[in-house]
Amino acid sequence: MSSIKVYVPGDSAAVSVGADEVALEISRLASASNVELEIIRNGTRGVLWLEPLVEVQVGVDRVGYGPVRAEDVAGLFQAQFLTGGSHALCIGEVAQLPWLAQQDRITFKRVGIVDPLSLSDYQAQGGLVGLERALSMTGEEIVAEVIESGLRGRGGAGFPAGIKWKTVLETSGESKYICCNADEGDSGTFADRILIEGDPFTLIEGMTIAAIAVGAGEGFIYIRSEYPAAVAKLSNAIQIAREFGLLGSSVLGSGNAFDIKIRVGGGSYVCGEETAMLESIEGKRGVVRSKPPLPAISGLFGKPTVINNVLTLASVPAVLAEGAASYKSRGVGRSLGTQIFQLAGNVKQGGIVETGFGISLGELVHGYGGGSLSGKAIKAVQIGGPLGAYFAPKNFDLPMDYESLIAAGGMLGHGGIVIFDTEVDLAIQAKFAMDFCAIESCGKCTPCRLGSTRGAETIQRIIDGEDFEPNKRILLDLCEVMTDGSLCAMGGLTPMPVMSAMINFPEDFENRGGGAK
Amino acid sequence: MTHSPWSVDAAMAVLEPLREEPGPVLIALQAIQSEFGYVPTEAVALIANTFNVSRADVHGVLTFYHDLRTTPALANEIKICVAEACQAVGSRELERILKTTYNDQVCEAFCFGNCALGPAVMVNGKLIGRATPTKVAEEIN
Amino acid sequence: MTLLIEPDFGTPRSKRSQKVTVTIDGTEVEVPAETSIMRAAATIGINVPKLCATDTLKAFGSCRLCVVEIDGRKGTPSSCTTPVADGMKISTQSAKLSRLRQGVMELYLSDHPADCAVGDQCKVHGMAKEVGLTEVRYAGKTHLDVPKDESNPYFTFDSTECIVCNRCVRACDEVQGTFALTIENRGFEARVSSSGTSFIESECVSCGACVQACPTGALTEKTLLTIGTPTRSVVTTCAYCGVGCSFKAEMKGDELVRMVPLKDGGANEGHSCVKGRFAWGYATHEDRITTPMIRKSITDEWREVSWEEAIEYAATGLKRIQTELGTNSIGGISSSRCTNEEVFVVTKLVRAAFGNNNIDTCARVCHSPTGYGLKQTFGTSAGTQDFESVEHADVIMLIGANPTSAHPVFASRMKKALRKGASLIVVDPRQIPLVRTPHVSATHHLQLMPGTNVAVINALAHVIATEGLIDREFVNARCDLESFAQWETFIRLPENSPETLEEFTRVPAETIRQAARLYAAAPNGAIYYGLGVTEHSQGSTMVMGIANLAMATGNIGRKGVGVNPLRGQNNVQGSCDMGSFPHELSGYRHISDPEARSIFDNKWSVTLQSQPGLRIPNMFDAALAGEFKGLYIQGEDIAQSDPNTVHVHAALRAMEMVIVQDLFLNETSKFAHIFLPGTSFLEKDGTFTNAERRINRVRPVMPSKTGKSEFEVTCDLATAMGYPMHYANGADIMDEIAAVTPTFAGVTFTALDAAGSMQWPVNASAPLGTPTMHINQFVRGEGKFMPTPYVATEEKSSRRFPLLLTTGRVLSQYNVGAQTRRTSNSVWHPEDTLDIHEADAQLRGIEDGTWVKLASRVGDTIMRARITDEVPAGVVYTTFHFPESGANVITTEYSDWATNCPEYKVTAVEVSPSAKGPGAIHEHEIDKNFQLSSIVRMANQIAANIPSTGAPEIEVAHHLVQFWTPTMLQHLHEDVDRTLLSPVVLRALDIESVSN
Repeated sequence: MSSIKVYVPGDSAAVSVGADEVALEISRLASASNVELEIIRNGTRGVLWLEPLVEVQVGVDRVGYGPVRAEDVAGLFQAQFLTGGSHALCIGEVAQLPWLAQQDRITFKRVGIVDPLSLSDYQAQGGLVGLERALSMTGEEIVAEVIESGLRGRGGAGFPAGIKWKTVLETSGESKYICCNADEGDSGTFADRILIEGDPFTLIEGMTIAAIAVGAGEGFIYIRSEYPAAVAKLSNAIQIAREFGLLGSSVLGSGNAFDIKIRVGGGSYVCGEETAMLESIEGKRGVVRSKPPLPAISGLFGKPTVINNVLTLASVPAVLAEGAASYKSRGVGRSLGTQIFQLAGNVKQGGIVETGFGISLGELVHGYGGGSLSGKAIKAVQIGGPLGAYFAPKNFDLPMDYESLIAAGGMLGHGGIVIFDTEVDLAIQAKFAMDFCAIESCGKCTPCRLGSTRGAETIQRIIDGEDFEPNKRILLDLCEVMTDGSLCAMGGLTPMPVMSAMINFPEDFENRGGGAK
Repeated sequence: MTHSPWSVDAAMAVLEPLREEPGPVLIALQAIQSEFGYVPTEAVALIANTFNVSRADVHGVLTFYHDLRTTPALANEIKICVAEACQAVGSRELERILKTTYNDQVCEAFCFGNCALGPAVMVNGKLIGRATPTKVAEEIN
Repeated sequence: MTLLIEPDFGTPRSKRSQKVTVTIDGTEVEVPAETSIMRAAATIGINVPKLCATDTLKAFGSCRLCVVEIDGRKGTPSSCTTPVADGMKISTQSAKLSRLRQGVMELYLSDHPADCAVGDQCKVHGMAKEVGLTEVRYAGKTHLDVPKDESNPYFTFDSTECIVCNRCVRACDEVQGTFALTIENRGFEARVSSSGTSFIESECVSCGACVQACPTGALTEKTLLTIGTPTRSVVTTCAYCGVGCSFKAEMKGDELVRMVPLKDGGANEGHSCVKGRFAWGYATHEDRITTPMIRKSITDEWREVSWEEAIEYAATGLKRIQTELGTNSIGGISSSRCTNEEVFVVTKLVRAAFGNNNIDTCARVCHSPTGYGLKQTFGTSAGTQDFESVEHADVIMLIGANPTSAHPVFASRMKKALRKGASLIVVDPRQIPLVRTPHVSATHHLQLMPGTNVAVINALAHVIATEGLIDREFVNARCDLESFAQWETFIRLPENSPETLEEFTRVPAETIRQAARLYAAAPNGAIYYGLGVTEHSQGSTMVMGIANLAMATGNIGRKGVGVNPLRGQNNVQGSCDMGSFPHELSGYRHISDPEARSIFDNKWSVTLQSQPGLRIPNMFDAALAGEFKGLYIQGEDIAQSDPNTVHVHAALRAMEMVIVQDLFLNETSKFAHIFLPGTSFLEKDGTFTNAERRINRVRPVMPSKTGKSEFEVTCDLATAMGYPMHYANGADIMDEIAAVTPTFAGVTFTALDAAGSMQWPVNASAPLGTPTMHINQFVRGEGKFMPTPYVATEEKSSRRFPLLLTTGRVLSQYNVGAQTRRTSNSVWHPEDTLDIHEADAQLRGIEDGTWVKLASRVGDTIMRARITDEVPAGVVYTTFHFPESGANVITTEYSDWATNCPEYKVTAVEVSPSAKGPGAIHEHEIDKNFQLSSIVRMANQIAANIPSTGAPEIEVAHHLVQFWTPTMLQHLHEDVDRTLLSPVVLRALDIESVSN
C-alpha cells in the first residue's frame, strides 16, 4: 500500500508559527514508530488562523488538524490522526470547513491543495488547460476573451486587463515584455505571496498566456526582497517550467519563445508603482516616470510592455480554461469575477477570502474574520493598504467592489483589509500615513517629496493639541495639493487615509489635550 | 549569513556573470552586498567600470534602496514590521521592547506579508509570526 | 545694449511634420504633433508657470507647477509632459490651478532660503510672486544647513538653494553626456550629488551645462557672485577650438561677468565646454602686454615705445632687408586664432606691401593636408557637413581625433547620436575616451600603429572593393569613372588586403573586415577626423583615402554622411579660406591663375607675383641659408608649436627682424626684435569660420586694451612700408573679401547679423549659405578618386629609439597653453605628462609619476611619466601645452609629402628614468646645408608618394611648380647633389615646366 500522505504547509506564514518544527516532529515520531508517510509541504489554504494546519489524506478526503504546535504532534499520533482520528485540534474534512466552503476559489483553486513544485499535481488539478487553449487561438482572440471576461487589474487601479493587452498587441515592436508586479508592499496584503509560494505555475502560465497574446518574448517578475521564500519557490518553479518546456524557445512545442527572469526589489515601496518598477527592473533608481508614454507603448527598456499584478495574471489561466462567460458570471456591476480579500491586523480569523465582488465589509470582518483578535470592539478598518481609507463600523454594510468603495471615498486597492480594535488612535494613523510617504517617496515630484514631511509635521501639531483649526486648514490645503498635484498614486493617495481618518473619526483629532490619547 | 572579505577579484567573480544582464546596476549591487554583507566604496567604481555606466549612476542607485548598505552588516539583523497590520497588534510596543535589548540591531520594515499573524519580525532572515520578545530571543540564541 | 534673455518654450521642439490644432485659454493654435501643451501655449505667449522644465531638456514633470485642466479629462495633468491632441481644449488658469500652484510654491519656500545670494538668478521667489503666494505657513525640518561645495574653480554648488528639479542632472546626461551628477537618497532627503564626492573629485568635466540649467542659485558661476548681476550682453564667438560656439558675453559695465552659450548658436545650440564658458580670464590677465616694445638685438632688454615708433622701426627694418637681399627675403605668418578680417589684411600686407607670396599660416602645421586632399578629390578644401548632420548618421568612423578633449561640444552631439543607436568605429593608436565611456562604446577600435593610417584606409577600401560593397549607382552618377577604374584596380591589389597590411598596422584583418562591412552597409556613414590624420608624412594621402572611401560607398551629398575634418583652431578654416597659403589666393584659387590674380591686381592696384612663396618650414630653411631675414608673425608661437624646436630656434636667431604680434610674451618673442601687442577675441570686430564652414560674428565686448584694433596695426605697417591700407572696421574688410572671393560673394556683416551665421559658399545660388556640400554634384564636377599607395614613414623605431611617440591635447588645456595656462584650467592639468604602457615602463624601471627623459634623434626633454593602458606597448604619448616640457624639442623635421604639415604624430623615441626635473633646452649647431638636404628629402618624398597612374615624373613636375618657390626649384636644379635624388625626380627635372 502506498505511504500515507501528510500535508504540512511550507508557506512562510505557516512556517512563521512553527510549521517546520511540526513537520520535523511528525517525521521523527513516524520513523520512531516505523510508520511510512510522505510529508508534502503544500502552500497554505489561506486559513491562516488555523496555521500550522496539518492535513492527512484519508481516502479521497483530507482531514485537517490545526493550529498544531510541535508539542501537539505526539497527541495527534495517539489520536490516530494518520487515519483521521478525532482530536481537539481536528477540524474534519478541510474542504468542508465552512470558512473555506463558502468561498468561491477560482484564482486560488489549487493553492494549499497541490505540491507547489509538482507540475503533475498542477496538471492533475486543471493546470495548463488555459495555456493549451490559448495556443490554439490568435493573439486577437485571446485578448478578446480577456476583455470579455471583465478581468480588471487586481493591483489596485482596476484597469481592464484586456484593454492593456490590446494596446501592447497593436503596438509594433521587435521586442515586447510581460512584467509581473509582485512588489506586494501594501500592509494587510499577502495574496500574491501565498499564491507564489503555493501555486507558482499558475502565475507562470498566466504570464505565458499574456506573452502568447501580445507577442512578447521575455517576462520579468519583480518581487519584493521581503519575500525570500517566494523568490526561492519561484526560481525553482521557473527552472522546472523550463525543463518541462513550458518556458523556453518553444512554449509547449508551439514554436513561441518565452522565458521569465526574476528581479528582486531593494526594499522600496514606491517600486510597486508600475513605472518606478520598470526603472527598478532596468537597474535604476526607482523613480516614477511621467505618463505618457504609457508603458503599453513604451515600457521596459522603451519597449511595449504588459504590466499586471500577480493576481491578475494568475486569474488568466482560469479565464481561458473556463471561458470568459463563466468568469464574468461572478461579481457585480463592472466588478466582475472574484476578488481575493485578505483579512489582517487585529482579527481573530485572518486569511485569504476569495469570493465574488459585492460581499459586504461587515460580512468579511465579522462573518469571516470573527471579530478582533483582542476580543475588544472593532474601531476601524483600513481597506487597500497604507494609501487606503479608514472606515468605521458604521460603514460595514458597504459592498466590496471597485465603484462602491470609490463612491465611499476609499479604494479596494489590492483587497487587503486591516482591522483595528479600540486601542487605535486615528490621528496617529494619519500621521503614520504621512511618515510612510515621507520615507517611501521616490523624491521626484514636489507635493510628495516635501508635502509628506510637512504633512507629518502638521499632524504632529494637531496631536500635540496646537491650534487645531489653523493646522487643520493647512492639512486640508496640503491634502488637495498632494491629491491633485502629485505625479503618481504614492503622493496622490497618501491624503486618503488622512482625510478618511479626519472625516470618519473627527473625535481623534479635535481639541486634543496633547500627546497620544 | 557569512560574508567574504572585500577583494577586487572576489567582486569581479560576482560581477562577471552579470555582464549580459539587461540593466545590471541594481542586481550588481545586490550581488556585491550578498557576497560582502555590504557595498564597499570601492565597489561603486568597479561596477561603473564593468557595466560602462558612471559612478554617479551607481551612487544614485546605491543610495535609493533601503536594502543596500554601505557599512558592514551587524551581528544580528532584527527587522520588525511597523506597518499598519502589525501596528494593529502592537508592533510599536514590541519594537520599543526589542530596542531596549538589541538597540541598533533592530530596524523597521514595512510588511513581510504575514499580516494575519502579526506582529511579524524577521531575525537574520527567518520570519517569526505572532512575535514576542521571547520568540525573538529564542531565534537569536 | 541690454541683457539678452532667450525665450524658453519649456520643452524641446517637436520634429513631427504633422500639425494639430488645440485651443488654449480660448485661443486656437496650430503646432506640430507631439508638441507639449506647455510649448504650444508658449508659442502664443501663454507662459505656464514652470521650474523643472526648460526647452533644452526632455520634459520631466517633477515640479507640478505647470498643471492645467483639459476639457473632458479628469485631474490636472502637467503641461510639460502632456502632448497636444487635435481639438484639445485647455485652460491654464483656474481657481483650482492657482491653489495647486500656490500650494507647490509654499512647499518649495518651506525648504528654501528667504533671501538668495544670486537675487533674480533664483527663479523660486519670483515664481512664488507670480502664482500669488502670500505666506508660508509651514515650519519644520529643512536642508538650509548643508555646506557649500566650492571645489570647482568656476562655480559653486549650494545645496540649500537646490529645489531638486533634476535640471542639472538631466543636462549632464542629455546635453553633455557625462552622467557625472545624480540624485542621492530619496523622498525628503533626495539631493543633487556629484556621486557622493565634491565636484572637483567627481566625473564632472566642468562644461557648465548644469550651471546653465539651474533655475536657482544652487549652481552659480563664482564671477556672478563676485561681480554681480550682468546688465547687458553681447553675442560673440568662442576663440578656442574649431567648433566655434556662439556665446552671450554677459557684462556689467565693461566687466565680463560670464559667458553663456547661445541656444540659437548654429554650432553649439546652447552648449559649451570648460574652455569656452569659463577659461576666458586670460583676456584680462596681468601678463597681457598692451604697449609696443622694440629692441636692437634679442639679447637686449625690451623697450616700451609708441605705436608710431614701433611701426616705423619695423617698416625700416623690413625695407632694409628687402633692399639688401631682395623682395622675397621677408614674409609673414597669419594666425588661425585671428579673425578672417585680420588674416585677410595680413595676406594683403605680404602679397601687396611686401610684394611677394611668402605668406603662410599655422594651418600649415595642422590641416594643410585637408586642404590639399579634399581639393584634389572633391574640389574644395573643406568639410562636407554641418555638425547637426552627425545626429542623422547610422555609423560614425572617427579617425585620429579625440573630440571629448579637443572638440568637446561636438563630442556631446556625437555621444547623443551614439546613445540613440548609431555605431562607432574608432581608428586611433590610443584608447581615447569614446572607445568606452559611460553609456557609449565603440563597436570596433582599430588600434593601429602610428604612421599606418594609409595602410588602414586602404585595407578598409580593399574589403569594400573586393566584397562587392561599392555603391556603383553613386559612383556612376557622381564620380569621374576613369579615375575610379584606376583606383579600383589599385585598391583590389593583394598588397592592399587587410591580411597583408596587418604586419604594418597591427590591426587584426578580421576587425578591419568587420569595420569595413559595418561602414559600407550603413544607410548613412559619416567620417570625422582630426590631426591624427593630417600630421603625418602621408597626411594628404590619407585625406584622399578617406575621400575615396566616402565616394565609393556613396556617403557624400546628404545629411548624416560626409567627410568632416575637426578643425583644431577657432579660425583655421577661415585663415585658409582667406588665402593664407603661399600658393593660394582667397577662395582656394592658385596664385598661377591669371584671372584670379587680375581681380586682386585691379582691386589692390598691384601686380601679384605669379609663383608660390615660402611655406613656414621653407622660411626656416631659407633663414638658415641666409636668404630670408624678416618675419611678421601674428598670433602664433612657432617657437613652441612647430616641430624640431632647436631647428626653429636657430632659424629665428638667423633672422634680423622678427616681429611678433601677440597677447603675451611667448617663446617666439624671445627671438623677436619687435613686439606688437595684440587683442583678445573679446576686443575683436570680425568673423571666425568654424569646421562646418560656418561664418560666425565676433563682436567687441570691451574696448581694445592696446588702443588699436589688430588689423589697424597691420595696415599701419603696410602704410609705413609705402603701401597705404585703411579700413573703417571689420565690415569694411569683409566687403573687400566678398568682392574678391566668389565663395564669400554674398557675405556682409549685415547679412550675418540678420541670419546669425552662414555656411559658405554664400552666393547668388545659395544666399543663406550651404550646410551640406556636393549635394547634386561635386564642386569640381565629378568626384575624383586618387590612388593612395601606402609608403611607410622614414621615421621608424630603431634599436636606439625603440618607441613611437605620438602627441595630442587634453580637455582643459589649449594648444601651447598661452591662454588656458593663465586660467584655473590648470587645476585639471598642471603639467604635460608622458603616457607610457606598463610593459614599457617596467622594462625601463619607470614608476608612475616619476621624472623621465624623453629623447629623439633631434633632441630630448624631461617630463613626468603616467603609466596607463590608454596607449599600447611600443607607443608613448604626450601633450604640448607647457613650454617647460617642450614636446616639440623631440619632434622631427619630417612632414607631409604634399604640404609639409609636420609629422607630429610619429617620432621614434627612447624613454629613461631621470633624476632631475625639466631644465633648459640644449641648443645644438644646425648644419648650414640644412636647406639643401631638406630640398632633396622633400623632392624624393614627393616622388615616392605622388598619386600617379601614368608617368609619375609628370605629376612630380606639376607638383613642384604648383607648390615650390622659384628659388627652391633653382636650388633643386643647380645646388643639390643630384646623386641623392630619386630617378623620378631627375626625370621630372628634365620636364620643361620645371626647368624654366
